[in-house]
Parts: sequence; C-alpha cells; structure tokens
Amino acid sequence: MKKAGAVAAKRGSSLWLQGLICGALVTLATPTALLAGALLLPSLIVHLLDTTSGKPTLRAVLLFGLAAALRPLLALWTGGQNTETSLALLSDMAVPALAWSAQGGGWLLTQLLPLLVRVGLEAQTRIDIARLRAERDRLAEQWGVDGET
Amino acid sequence: MLKPRPEQPPPRAAGAAPPAAAAGQPSIAGRYAVDVAQPLPGAGGGLPAFVATDRRDGRAALMAVQVAPGAPPRAATFAALADHSDPCLLRPLAYGAAPGPDGAARWFVICPAPPGPALWPAGASAIRPWSEADLIARLLRPAASVLADLQARRITHRAVRPDNLFLDAAPGSPAVLGCAWASPAGAWQPAAFEPPYMAMCAPAARGEGRIADDVYALGVTLLTLALGRVPLAGLDAEAIIRRKLEFGCFEALVGEARLVPMIADLAGGMLAQDPDHRPTPALLADPAAARARRVAARPPRRAPRPLEVGTLAVSDARSLAYAIARQPEAGARLVRLGVADHWLRRVLGDTTLAGKIEEVQRQRAGEGGAEDAAADARLVLKAVALLDPLAPLCWRGTALWPDGLGPALVAETTDAATRARIEEVVAQEIAFTWGGARGEHGDLLALRQEVKLQRGLLKQRGWMGGLTRLDYALNPLLPCRSPVLADRPVARLDELLPALEAVSARADRRMAPPLDRDLAAFVASRIEGRPDQDLAALGEAGTPDETALTQLAVLAHLQSRLKAPPLPGVAGWFADLTAASLDGLHNRETIAAQRAAVAAAVPAGLLPALLAVLDDAATRAADAEGHAAAQAALEQLDARLAALADGGAARHEIALRIGQEATAVLGLGALVVAILVAALG
Repeated sequence: MKKAGAVAAKRGSSLWLQGLICGALVTLATPTALLAGALLLPSLIVHLLDTTSGKPTLRAVLLFGLAAALRPLLALWTGGQNTETSLALLSDMAVPALAWSAQGGGWLLTQLLPLLVRVGLEAQTRIDIARLRAERDRLAEQWGVDGET
Repeated sequence: MLKPRPEQPPPRAAGAAPPAAAAGQPSIAGRYAVDVAQPLPGAGGGLPAFVATDRRDGRAALMAVQVAPGAPPRAATFAALADHSDPCLLRPLAYGAAPGPDGAARWFVICPAPPGPALWPAGASAIRPWSEADLIARLLRPAASVLADLQARRITHRAVRPDNLFLDAAPGSPAVLGCAWASPAGAWQPAAFEPPYMAMCAPAARGEGRIADDVYALGVTLLTLALGRVPLAGLDAEAIIRRKLEFGCFEALVGEARLVPMIADLAGGMLAQDPDHRPTPALLADPAAARARRVAARPPRRAPRPLEVGTLAVSDARSLAYAIARQPEAGARLVRLGVADHWLRRVLGDTTLAGKIEEVQRQRAGEGGAEDAAADARLVLKAVALLDPLAPLCWRGTALWPDGLGPALVAETTDAATRARIEEVVAQEIAFTWGGARGEHGDLLALRQEVKLQRGLLKQRGWMGGLTRLDYALNPLLPCRSPVLADRPVARLDELLPALEAVSARADRRMAPPLDRDLAAFVASRIEGRPDQDLAALGEAGTPDETALTQLAVLAHLQSRLKAPPLPGVAGWFADLTAASLDGLHNRETIAAQRAAVAAAVPAGLLPALLAVLDDAATRAADAEGHAAAQAALEQLDARLAALADGGAARHEIALRIGQEATAVLGLGALVVAILVAALG
C-alpha cells in the first residue's frame, strides 16, 4: 500500500512537471509550441491512446514525428521564431502532411513488424517441430519405445 | 547259503569266437561285444553273465556280467586292477552299456570268462570232500597269492565263496577267483561266508571291508570244501550271525564235524572273530607258517543267566550288542534303565564293560527324558560300539559300514525311511561319534575327514546338495537316473552330452530345460575339480531365461572341457528356451544381430558360441545403457515438442517486443538522419 502510494505520488509529480514544462513552453516559446504541437498532433493522440507499459507505439511514432518535424522547427527558429512564421509553415500543407505521414508510417511499422516477426518465428517453430518429431520417431523405432506421446 | 544255479556250460576254448558276436553289435569301451543270446549261468558271481568278445583281437574267452539296478560296480577296483595279470583272478576289463536280454540298455562289466566250472556245482547240496593236499595246493595257495596282490593294491575281493571260484579242466589247476566287481562289495556273499560284523549289514551296506574279511571268506570256503557241505546250511542269516557271535565263528561253522588237524588249525585262524588275529594272505601262502603263528583268542565270556532284549535272549557281550542293534527300542530301554550295565557287572562279570555302559547311560540321562528318540538312538549307537567294537555303525535299526553308505543309499531294497536314517547319519556326523566310541578300531582321522566331506556335500545349496548329490558322489559308477535321459545309459560324464543330444530330438522334452536335480548332481559329482559357479547356481530360483542360461553355461563348459562333438540338437533346445530372452533387448538392430548369431550358432552345435551370444553381458549392458539414453533423449524431445506446442503466447510476446524495438530503432535512425541532414545543410 505504501509502495503503490509512492508510485502514484511520483506519477502525479511527473504529470505536474510535464504540465509545467508544457505551460512554460507555450508561454515562453509560443510559435515553437504551436508548430510542434500541430506537427506532433498524432503523437499527442497516441500518447493519450497508448496505455501499454513503456508506450512502445508512442516511442516509435514520436521518433518518426520528430524526424519529420525537425526541418520546419529549424526553419521557424532561423526565420525569426514568431507566430506568423509558424502559421506560414503550417499553412504549407506539405509540412504537416509529411510530419503526420511519418508518424503514421511509424505507427504502421509498430503494427506490421511484430506481425512479420511472428510469422517468421512460427515458421521456424514448425521446422523445429518437424525435425524433433522425426528424431523422436527414429529413436522410438530404434529402441522399441512406444509411439508418439 | 549257496543258491542253486543252472548247470554250467562247458568252458569255451580260448580264441574261438562265438557265432553271435557280430560286428554290427553295440560294443562296450569301443571293443567288447556282448552276446546276450549266450548266457553263462553261474559265471557272474551272483549276477547274470553272457559271452563277450573282444573285437580287436577276436578273443572270445570273455564274459559280460550284467549289473543289477541300484547296485553300481566298485569303481576303485577298476583302476587298481588295470595292470593285473594273475590268471587266478577274473579281473575287470571294462564297464559300459549294451542292449540287455530284454533289448533295453543294460550295464555290464567285462571280465575274462571262468576257465571252467565253479568249485561248487550248481544245485548241489554236498560234494566229495577235498583232500588236504588239493585244498592247500589248488585253493589256499593260489587264492592267498591273489589276495596278497589285492592287499598290495589296497582293494578287497569280497566274493570268495565256492560258487565264485572256478577250476580249469586240467588236473591240478589252481582255483580262479571270480568276478566281484559288478556289484557293491560283499553284496552277494551269504551270511555264512561273511564275518558277523559284515553279515548283519544290508548286502549293499557292507562296504569294501578289509583283506582279513576275504581271508575269513576263504576260511569258510576251505571248510566247505573240506567238509563237502556248506556249513550252517538251512539256517537264515540272523540265526547264522547269532550262532557265530555266541559260539565263535569256527566253532559255529564246524560244529561237531571232524577236520584234519592242518585244515582245522588254518581255518581256526582264518575265522578268528577279530580280523587283526587272522593270518595275512602272504602268510597263508605258506600254510605251515600260518598254522604255526595262529593267535589263540580267548573264548567270549558267557553269562550263566541270559538277558532278554526284546525277543532275543543273549549270554555274551557281542550278542548283547547285536540284540540291541537289531531291537534298538528295547535295547535303549535296557541301557537307559541300567539293566544292561547291571547284567554286565553282576551276571556276566565284566566290570570294565559295565563301567563303559554306565558312562553312556549317565550321558543319556543328561540329554533328556525317555521320549527323546534321537538321544536313545545315540545311546544305542555308542552302546553297540562299546559292547562290540567290531560291529558296524548301527543307527535306528540300520547297520552299515561308513564306506558302504553310498551303495546303501541307492540300493533297490533301500526304502525312504532307510534313506532318511542314512541322511541323519551324514547330517549329524553319526559315523564320527561311532568311530570315537569304538576306540582304537579304525582310522578316526580319516573317518572324520570323510564324514566332514559327506556332510559338506549333503548341506550344499540347491541341486548341488541333498541325498541325490550323495547318491552320485559316493557311487562313482552309478548311472545317471534322471528321467530326462529316459533309457539312455549314462554313467560317465562324457556319455552325458551325446545322450542329451539324442534326447533333444524329442519334442516333448524340449518344453523344459534339460538339466534336473539328478543330472546336476551327476555332473557335479563326476566333474573334475571344484564345481564352478554356474553348476552351483543350478536349482536356485530364477526366471525361466536365467535358468536356461545357467544350464547352457554348465553344458557349454562341459562341451569345452570334454572336447565333445557339436550338439546342434541341444543348441536348438536352448535356442528355443531362450528365444524370449532376446526380447529383453531393446535395440532393434542388436536384436536382429543377436537372432542372426543364434541362428548361425545352432547348426554349428557349439554351446560356448551360443552362450556367448545369449549371455553377452557387454551387449546387454550397452543395450541397457543405450536404452536409458534413448529414453532420456525421448523425454527431452517430448519436453521440447511440448514447449514448442505450448509456446504460441511466448512467441507472440517475443514478436511484439522485437517488432516494437525494431520500429523504435528505425525511428531513431530516421531522427539521426534528419539531424545529420539538417546539420550538414
């Protein structure tokens, strides 16, 4: 009980810290927050929806999103870092489209890659089972032991 | 008393082959053919005899004496007389089986045929008395010479009597001692021709005796021929023994008859009660010297008032011993109650003997009450030995000499109760007790060794021990009596394997292993040296396969040791019995290889090779080890298969984790690339 309470308290303080950082970012760097928030909107959604431990989907989506949002953010910071520039960048549909597509691709990969790996593992398992059964049958025949168990 | 016999056929001229001695007949020892169509009545020393021929040299002056069932020949005499050449003795030449008059296999001892008729014509009640000169020249001297030779060879004849002594037709020819080898020693001797201490035993239980017993029988023969009649004819054995004990042998046999002084003196010495007082055969060869050195024995002390022992009334110590031996229950009661020692002391006047009997009576009192039959039997044993140190071992009404124990065990007249009594004698080392009680008579040390040996044999485990083992161990020429052999004659070890090979052809015999208790005891007794472990294991409890393999090991050992010919039948017999043992193996290839090896070994008939296949410990151990390893491997495989079958969820987790990690890595890679691109321009 005591430990669970401590974890909940830590999570509460982390949430508070995240809110403080976000608040500070929105207050002190509004254009950057606007651009980043718009470009990383899918990651924000995944953050809200992904309840798995460690949030592996969020991690992948966020990494792809950051990779796609890096150039617009650099452009914002080199272009005066104001709200107009931020809105101008967002008004170019290619910028958010690329960022969102990258995050979508990241999400797709988190769905497809486990499936592919699973297929590969299952195939290997079937091969192993066949080999082991053959070896078992050979031993059983050679030593007169009863058939399959 | 001499038994009437059919008329003796005329003697056959030496070298003239009998017409029926055909070359195709089975032969004994590979050379002697028996012609059962030509009997030789009265020639076999009490046993049926037939004309025999030596196929090597065509010698026809031979006879085959048929051995009676349960009365094996005397083994020691065969070896001892192998190089004997005195024509005055019909020495044994061979022993073996041949078809008997009824067509079945019978055992025969081959001897030279008698040179002429017996001294006592068959069926005669009296003959013309011999002259003193003839008695000495034709009977005493040649017979004494033969007996001296036998004594030098440490054997006895034990069948010296007028109807087993033969004369050539030539005038003045010496008497020839007949066959005495085809039955236990003294088995066919009438009571008159045996000292009382021999005559009181069953015929088969008299033992080999001493040469002095042959001198005694020669003395009775001398009397018979001198008188022209058989002494004490018409009396039964018991009456003869009692008269001899009561009056002395010479006095009982001669009675009121008149003898020439020379013969009377000689016979008196030869018939002395104590064998140590009789002249030796060498001394008898010089009758004048033998007459001069006659030992004057004191006549037995007689009591003025007889003592009643059961139904017998006795007046002297030796007769008392005989009566107690014959009626052990009444005798034991007399001794136990002190009647015997009182009679000995007060009536007979023998205080020394009375003191000895009183001592055993005291010992008996300390052993238990009157109901203790075993203590009574020991009391009787000691009392008889003390009263008559010459008497045989008397145990519960059975009288025997320790060296007659073997033939007594297997005699046809021996019933189960007698065998049980003999077993007691061996198991309780009664002979040693008896030897100790009779004092200086006999070699106690040798007797102790023999007693220990016999008891050791009796007490051996399984089929190596028991009375059956004693049957064969104490009767070296006793044929094997196993029902497995049916009517196949087997008396020597080298005859066993061919007989089993012949038996193996019978399908009904192949259902069970070939060796039984009789065969095992026979092999153990006939094999040289100590029986090996396999032989000792015979009869012990085990699975049928183990039993068969143990028996195969025994026979394989025999085949190797005796260099016996191939035995494909016996090998097939064991292959059938042990077929299931190969199923005990696990590896299919090994089983197939073993079956092929067995199939190859059976026609070859080599039991050691078959045993090596069937009892291959290394192969069995390797098979068991391989089987255990295979089972362990199978268990591992099963576990791995089960894990694979049940591992779907785990694999899903792994795939998910790997996929997510891979996606994260790709994302990180994309970020790094983006950073690099931004940094570079």
